[in-house]
Amino acid sequence: MKYRNDTIYWRALRAAALPALAALLLLTAPSLPGLGSRDAATEAGFSIAVFVPGVVEGSPTYEMLVAGVQRAAAERPGTQVRVIEGGFNQAEWPQSITSLAATRDYDLIVTSNPSMPEIADEVSRSFPDQRFLVLDGYLSGNSSLYTVQFNQREQAFLSGYFAALVSSSRMEHARPGLRAGLLAGQEYPIMNRVIRPAFELGLQSVDPSAVLDFRVLGNWYDAAAATELANSMIDSGADVILTISGGGNQGVISAARTKGAYVLWYDSSGYDEAPGIVIGSTRVKLDHAAYLRTLEAIDGILEFGSAEMLGVADGFVDFDTEHRLFERHIPQQVRSELAAMIARLREGDLQLEMPTRF
Amino acid sequence: MIFNAVEIMTPILLAALGGLFAERAGVLNIALEGLILTGAFAGILIAAATASLLVGMLAGAAAGGLLAVVFAFFSIRLRANIFITGLAVNLLAAGGIPFVSTWMFGTKGVLRFPQLQRMPRLLEGVTSGINAVDSLLFGHSVTVYLAWLLTALAFVVLYRTPFGLRLRALGAREESVVLAGVDATAYRRLAIVISGIAAGLGGAAISLRLGVYLPNISAGRGWIALVAIYLGYRHPFGILMAALLFGFTESLAGAAQGLLAIPGTVLLGLPYAITVVAMIVYSALRARGRRHRRLIDSHF
Repeated sequence: MKYRNDTIYWRALRAAALPALAALLLLTAPSLPGLGSRDAATEAGFSIAVFVPGVVEGSPTYEMLVAGVQRAAAERPGTQVRVIEGGFNQAEWPQSITSLAATRDYDLIVTSNPSMPEIADEVSRSFPDQRFLVLDGYLSGNSSLYTVQFNQREQAFLSGYFAALVSSSRMEHARPGLRAGLLAGQEYPIMNRVIRPAFELGLQSVDPSAVLDFRVLGNWYDAAAATELANSMIDSGADVILTISGGGNQGVISAARTKGAYVLWYDSSGYDEAPGIVIGSTRVKLDHAAYLRTLEAIDGILEFGSAEMLGVADGFVDFDTEHRLFERHIPQQVRSELAAMIARLREGDLQLEMPTRF
Repeated sequence: MIFNAVEIMTPILLAALGGLFAERAGVLNIALEGLILTGAFAGILIAAATASLLVGMLAGAAAGGLLAVVFAFFSIRLRANIFITGLAVNLLAAGGIPFVSTWMFGTKGVLRFPQLQRMPRLLEGVTSGINAVDSLLFGHSVTVYLAWLLTALAFVVLYRTPFGLRLRALGAREESVVLAGVDATAYRRLAIVISGIAAGLGGAAISLRLGVYLPNISAGRGWIALVAIYLGYRHPFGILMAALLFGFTESLAGAAQGLLAIPGTVLLGLPYAITVVAMIVYSALRARGRRHRRLIDSHF
């Protein structure tokens, strides 16, 4: 009997070992070495680590980041690039960046996220020789860092201005009363202090009585919950929704398709996501900024310790008005008025300064 | 608000009904999250391939059931630790689906199927004259009515059939059932497979309604379903009420964001706060009722 019990326990142990091992592998897989897109830097040449605070696939921003750095590396023979995905746990990013700097294998660490300048600033105190290029963040005065911020105030303003033009047009789903929605994945300083007020300013620059319906999803992936929030916004009278909610964007499209409303995309061209539903897209040319500044870093001419702000006038923030679906779905009058506003921003006739401290 | 609440509750209700079968058989199915995810992926994939939502729903249920067979094999047949096996199933789904997705479509991100037909709605245009009743009963996705039907079916199976009686007895007092000659292992395995089928159906309901699959589409609904089982006092109709409470509070929190000047992040905690309060109030009322009955019994 004892022998039989022992056998059962062994069986149970063996059975538990397999799923436990599988779980361990899956949990540790993102941090295993060698999962980068290319091998680690060689001793010769310039070596770059691209730290992605999340995952590359499915994120247009990070896809642009990696593409820009790789394009620059391709133009300078001998330059090595390794892409490291840091995953979604923000608490792990400082440790991951510290580990990368501690290897001393990389001449430059490139990353992109509003929270990364502070993390790089902290790490640079322990590793002052490590150089960082941080996009989508702003911090000056640290000789180890170069940061590039995009003027999201202009970007959100353009979205709001376009939303108001559409809402007050005779387009199929436009309804009486100017009310537009903004769905955010989460609340964060730039969202609360820049994007939301600038979107509202854009709306009210067309009609001062325009109302902004602002909602928060609470995460960056729950598309089903995003559908219900978008449904609620549409029921409340919103006919255009700007969605900045990661995977939740798909839920907003689903609601807009079912109930009859329009969706605006942010950061990358999203017309092909849902033709006729996604009718406007602001773009940030993060890939081009990553390409240019990486190239300068490789050539040794990037002025570390500086920070720059890039906006519409610089050509790094714009509204994708050249897409065939934009031309197909948007009336000429709306297109003309939007073009006039973009021209004002480009020529400096209208200036919307982006705060650099939050 | 009520209309949205009913739509929100449906996947939770389906998964919780499945989890109820396992729970009543004495197995806590913590793999519901992974089973929902698998159902969501398989459901939309097959629906897109066959151009049939019905086939997609069946495929979602089958995929959930199939993964549950694996779960049952390890946890019941090989008697592996149920928690480790359940977590492994969740991780397997979370890690395996991106692998398959990359292999098939070259991406582990969003999968869009624009050609997929929309989930049909039933009883649209029907009205009782009372807004709240209309929102509750009419014009919903077909999966809502399916979930209600399955709630009634779960009640019949659990409380009106010998199978249900044995299943409940297995969870309450295993020895008596075994002494009566019932194969406890087979019953538990079947209960887990039923929970997989229902959770897979819940997953398919999510992805087919959205028309897309994206990573983490289950978004914790498997865990909420587990809570709903206990909040609903392990009874199909109790679970229906618990799922409706979750749906209603989530819908309320969403609607309140557009009405109140309270930060949205604060309101997002509302469903959980209301649920905890409801659970405390309900437990207190139940305890009071029991005391009251004991008092009456002691007098006679």
